[in-house]
Amino acid sequence: MKFPAFLLTTLLLMGSAGVKAQSHLLNDRVTLSGFGTIGLIHSDQGEADFVRDVGQPKGAEQGWSARTDTRLGLQANMRLTSELDAVVQGMSQYHSSGDFSPELMLAFVRYAPMPDFQMRVGRLGWDVDLLSESRYIGYGSPWIRPPVDHFGVLQLTYIDGADVTFTRPFGDDLIWARFFAGTSDSRFFMSDALQVDFDADSILGGHLNYESGPWRFRAGYTRIRSNVNFSGDDADLIGDLFGIDANQYLNPRTGFDDLQVYSLGAAWNKGPLQLQTVWNRDILADGDTWLDTGFVSGAWRMDKLTPYVLLSNVSTHNNSADALSGNVNQNTWSLGLRYDVVTNLALKAQFDRIHTRTPGLLWRGTDGNWKDDHSNLLSLGLDVIF
Amino acid sequence: MPRFTRLARATTMALLLISTTARADIAIVINEASPVRQLSHSEAVNIFMGRYRRLPDNSVALPIDQAPLKARFYRALVQKDMAEINSYWARLVFSGRASPPQQTETLDDVVDIVTHNANALGYVDAGLLPPHLRVLLTLSESP
Repeated sequence: MKFPAFLLTTLLLMGSAGVKAQSHLLNDRVTLSGFGTIGLIHSDQGEADFVRDVGQPKGAEQGWSARTDTRLGLQANMRLTSELDAVVQGMSQYHSSGDFSPELMLAFVRYAPMPDFQMRVGRLGWDVDLLSESRYIGYGSPWIRPPVDHFGVLQLTYIDGADVTFTRPFGDDLIWARFFAGTSDSRFFMSDALQVDFDADSILGGHLNYESGPWRFRAGYTRIRSNVNFSGDDADLIGDLFGIDANQYLNPRTGFDDLQVYSLGAAWNKGPLQLQTVWNRDILADGDTWLDTGFVSGAWRMDKLTPYVLLSNVSTHNNSADALSGNVNQNTWSLGLRYDVVTNLALKAQFDRIHTRTPGLLWRGTDGNWKDDHSNLLSLGLDVIF
Repeated sequence: MPRFTRLARATTMALLLISTTARADIAIVINEASPVRQLSHSEAVNIFMGRYRRLPDNSVALPIDQAPLKARFYRALVQKDMAEINSYWARLVFSGRASPPQQTETLDDVVDIVTHNANALGYVDAGLLPPHLRVLLTLSESP
């Protein structure tokens, strides 16, 4: 239950009933706003610790934990001219540094001379599939957290670079496409004893979108080439055992240095019903190993209550021996309820039933032999925007 | 029969209120100097939901929200309540994708902006249409 007390206090103050859902205008040009989540998890799993994504060095142990889902984000939007604006966002969450140290999540200038075209330069969100860009915004989704089987592995937090977006009407429908390029430095954890510094020096991607009435469709492709450095006790052990740089041994066996992501997504939102599905295939360097991740979600809004159901899956296809125990195979059933207390604050409760066939890099604190087990999680969340 | 009279009066008032609410449509308006004559429902959704802000005459649309009428407007436009609309904009704003319409507090603010800007779009109660504004689309509030 270690997280900064100020984060909790700030969130409670901002989320207190009576706070109206409005952003605060400093003047006509600058808007300050923010979002936050207080999340509590109870896990019944004594053999392994649950993480939200592989960037979290420690997981939620058996019992209660508040570390996994709690976060606070602050954003400033600046209108510079009628065609230029800028966005800066900082966020505090439990991440790869092992604490809640704030990160710069967005810092870009946008040039939008016409509705058909915009260009952004700077630090941008990770826009690899239909929902990845907004996965930290708890208030923006029905769930406690985006499905871990899908968003827990091989995701970047942001990219430093540029993107261009083209939009065209097509009858009553819209077609739009975005292309992005950049770099990104991040760290994730394969286990408690093996961490990966993932310096992506070439990220190229794009996606095509079609929006028709309540429907949204997306198809995307992204390629990430990286310098990958392994460290930690396991890396040291490998170095000692084989008498070589651990990177020489581990890079060919993981294939993290050249990653391709194909993504398909669809969403349907009309009246009280909200359906979403995303499927990604992440192909690792050798081409013989890939991960399929995906989820299907349905939510039904009844005034202030939104019950939802979520099914997610991750499976590794690997023709070679899994020397590093990195293969992940698991699926999760989730049932939950969102209650909109006021128009900027929601309470959520969610139950997850996780079937882990092989944990791979998605769990912490395992003894290496843990597999084919079920875990039950109960999560409570409070989401605000202000 | 004073009791009957009071009851009849109360019933008449209640019926009047109900029928007034049911018929109070919302009009999307623009400066009467604008060459734009009408807007389709899907164009209105694209403009106010930040998907594609272009008017039928190819100029850039500047949508304006009006606090007192906002919940009724979005209920009529996309059948969503304010928690859902705020949730939608939270996803777009905090991922840096788009900005919501300019927010105003009163009808006078909307009228002021629309009368001074040929591309600004506001919404007003159709029964209380201010002068010098052109109605582009009327949204029915009936279920």
